[in-house]
Amino acid sequence: MERETTEAGSAAAAARPPGGRPAFLPSDVDPTVFDEDFLRRLERLAVLVKRPVRGGLKGGRRSVRRGQSVEFADYRDYSLGDDLRQLDWNVYARLEKLLVKLFIEEEDLTVTLLVDGSASMAHGSPDKLVFAKRAAAALGYIALAAEDRVVLTSLGGRAARRRAALRGSGRAFRLLADLSAIEPAAGATDLAAACRHALAQVTGRGVIVLVSDLLDPGAERALRDLAGTGADVIVLHVLAPDELNPTLDGDLRLVDAETGATVDVTLDLAARERYTERVEAWQAELGALAAKRRIAYVPLTSDVPLADLVFAELRRRRVVG
Amino acid sequence: MPFAAPLALLGLAFLPLVVAFWMLKLRRTERTVSSTLLWQRFGEDLQANAPWQRLRRSFLLVLQLLLVILLALLAAQPFVERPATLARDLVVVIDASASMAATDVAPSRLDAARELALEALRNLPAGGRVSVVAAGATPRVVANATSDMGRVHAALAGIAATPATADMGEALALASALAARAGDAQVLVATDAAFTPPTDLEVAAPVTVLQVGRERRNQALVAFAVRSAPTAVTRSVFISVANMDLEPTTERVELWGDGRLLEARDLFLDPLSRADVGIDDVPLDVRVLEARLAGDDQLALDDRAWAVVPPDRLLRILLVSEGDPYLEAALSFLPSAELYGVKPADYGVGTKPELFDLVIFDAALPAALPRVPTLAIAPPRTSALGTVTGSLVDPALGRPAPDEPLLRYVDLTTLHVAEATRLSLPDWARTVVPTVAGDPLLYTGARDGVATGVLAFEPRRSDLPLQVAFPILVSNLVGELVGASRAPTTAVAPGSLVSLPIPSGAAGLRVTRPDGTTLDLAPAVTGGATATFASTEQLGIYTVAPLGLADASPTTTAAGSASASPDAVDPSAPVQFAVDLFDVGESTIAPGSAAALERLGSVAAGGGAGGGGDGRPPARDNLWIPLAALALAFIALEAVVFQRDALVRIRRRLGRGLGRRPAAGAPA
Repeated sequence: MERETTEAGSAAAAARPPGGRPAFLPSDVDPTVFDEDFLRRLERLAVLVKRPVRGGLKGGRRSVRRGQSVEFADYRDYSLGDDLRQLDWNVYARLEKLLVKLFIEEEDLTVTLLVDGSASMAHGSPDKLVFAKRAAAALGYIALAAEDRVVLTSLGGRAARRRAALRGSGRAFRLLADLSAIEPAAGATDLAAACRHALAQVTGRGVIVLVSDLLDPGAERALRDLAGTGADVIVLHVLAPDELNPTLDGDLRLVDAETGATVDVTLDLAARERYTERVEAWQAELGALAAKRRIAYVPLTSDVPLADLVFAELRRRRVVG
Repeated sequence: MPFAAPLALLGLAFLPLVVAFWMLKLRRTERTVSSTLLWQRFGEDLQANAPWQRLRRSFLLVLQLLLVILLALLAAQPFVERPATLARDLVVVIDASASMAATDVAPSRLDAARELALEALRNLPAGGRVSVVAAGATPRVVANATSDMGRVHAALAGIAATPATADMGEALALASALAARAGDAQVLVATDAAFTPPTDLEVAAPVTVLQVGRERRNQALVAFAVRSAPTAVTRSVFISVANMDLEPTTERVELWGDGRLLEARDLFLDPLSRADVGIDDVPLDVRVLEARLAGDDQLALDDRAWAVVPPDRLLRILLVSEGDPYLEAALSFLPSAELYGVKPADYGVGTKPELFDLVIFDAALPAALPRVPTLAIAPPRTSALGTVTGSLVDPALGRPAPDEPLLRYVDLTTLHVAEATRLSLPDWARTVVPTVAGDPLLYTGARDGVATGVLAFEPRRSDLPLQVAFPILVSNLVGELVGASRAPTTAVAPGSLVSLPIPSGAAGLRVTRPDGTTLDLAPAVTGGATATFASTEQLGIYTVAPLGLADASPTTTAAGSASASPDAVDPSAPVQFAVDLFDVGESTIAPGSAAALERLGSVAAGGGAGGGGDGRPPARDNLWIPLAALALAFIALEAVVFQRDALVRIRRRLGRGLGRRPAAGAPA
């Protein structure tokens, strides 16, 4: 869907001092997240919704509610109190029956971005949290450009911190600033509890995007909870390349970055291969669970270039269009 | 299984130590990861916290335990016993003669003899002692009553075939003396028995022959000589080839001169016969000749021979005489000789006799004899040349030695001497022509290293100048005296002593062997005129250069300087001589009779060779070699297991490389 250049896009087109910080970026936005060219490309995308959604304001999305748009949906019998303007007089003239025309009401879409801010996300090379921020920013920007409502929520500890809802592409920098402010949580994170907390703050059905490494015993529970909301759920499962194919070797004591728990292992090539096989099996299990719950599950590694993620991977998986 | 050092089995105590090391908690490197969830959830089998779990899984531990067991067994020196068939004191005689270099058994008879001896030593009783005698031209004991088999092995390995005839009689006598020291002794002779066994010898122990060699196919160069023609314009070469085989054959004889092929001829050789070849017109500039047999026989040592062409140099002879026309005429007939004359009264320091090759004093003697070859004719007084005891009138000639080289082609049976000086023979001389009474009429020798001859009568006081023999005798005398001042002109037998004259003013000699090694010789006494060279065990050309002469040129051969100018006689120039085998006995490689050798031994008390008694300890077979090989294999396997990651990577890389190759050529 081709759209006009937005305000943010215009700002992005501003000249940037050579070798310095982009002139259009506010000081509280991480300049390494987006550049001008990337923002321009994001404007051409929109988040795809598989089914009609329910929103609060009139928007550019088909709603499950019958409303006053120009797109005909159905007929129903007239009942007392119905708006007489909706009666189809032509039908009455032919059939002498009072039927009310129902139209598909267009509502706005709420895109909830759940960014896992656990300590484990701050590990890996490249950094998973940075990758998660950039992915969330990209999706959020797409939603803002499509006049959708964007709610950013960071997950850490057992709680979720919800930021103010944003609407309109003019709030893109605010979104970027909010993302830049997310810091990895100290201590252990209970993903399932944090997700429950976040879902309690979600109003209406929309799109929920969870960006997480799912390195939590309650990851599957969290997915089930997300699926139970009835919203379109997109899970970007981010793992660092060295978590998929570790380069560790020898007799090691592995220390958990969140809990401080230790595991003694002796690693060689065969052990690493067994580990990799089982991680892939774990991803397959998560994928199967997601498919069963109608969740869009996208396994990713943090070394995927953001452009490839948005323009190739998410398109391929029909997350954006 | 018995052990030579059973206490070493205490090394097995290291087994629990190795296990303990594996059970000890490892000092692990801490690494922070994003979450241990993946490792806990999917990697239970990777964890190694429980010691016994680790032990159960470790192939390396099993290898290390096996290695400890093997090392302990190795240190304990296990062995197996079996009855010994050899005496406790064993004398091994290894025939190192030239025929042992024959290759009818690979790689050579000597190597086969060594192998047989080592194989036989396996039957040595435990604690047995071994002596090893190398039977070369001069037998020598290379290992003496040792129980150290390593030394025996080294001694056997150090024996090399010498291109000479082995003195087997002396070697067996030496072995007998060694065996006689012990009560239970035995002599093992590893030989091809290609010699005539000594008959007047009894060995004081049983003799067992380990015979090597099967065939007799050999052709040999048995003579090789070069001779200048009387005109000194050309040279003739004489080659004699013998066929020791029972089959006729055709051999190609090649003559090489200074490294280039001069002539090649095919010779038909009847069985057990020899054929001679004469080759004339050898170029004048050739100094070293080599004859080669191009055939493929079983002994290579006798397929090459060398000869040094005698240098054509102008002999300068000084005749100190009042005048003897007969003698002057005879000397003037000599080819390549230049005669100078001086009256006895004029002879002195100014004469510089050292510039001459020969000084002849005719009925005169100076106060001081020159240190150059000298011929004195009728010395008038007693001197170092001999003591004058009177005179002989019409002496009757005695019978000279028939093989006297000085009298070759010289018939003195009709010689009449009117008067001669009676001389007593000095100790440095040998009589060539005696009188019936035994007084020497002609004698020669090396006086203080200087070739010297004395003729007791003046030729003109006899009818010798009227006989044909006179110029020949003069020629022979000159040749003997002048030739003796140089290196040997005929081939030297390997291993024999060579007396090399030291030029006047030289401090010594440097001999360069055929293999390029050098040896410096000094005279036996200070100021001595000769040095003895004994290291002639190599076949080929030896070069002798004087040391300590300012004008000596070690890099220039005598041949080279002589060919440059016959007048440039340089007494300090290097000279050459050849060492050749020329031994028909050694070239006859047909194996002889082992029984004849064994008959030389005495019969042991227990009856039969080697039956020294039932009280012998058994022989031992050490098992360390297979154990050591097994230990090495375990070490290699442990390394492979330890580095299996790298090996897997290499294998995969290779697999990928091989997999890509056909794909590259496949159509897209």
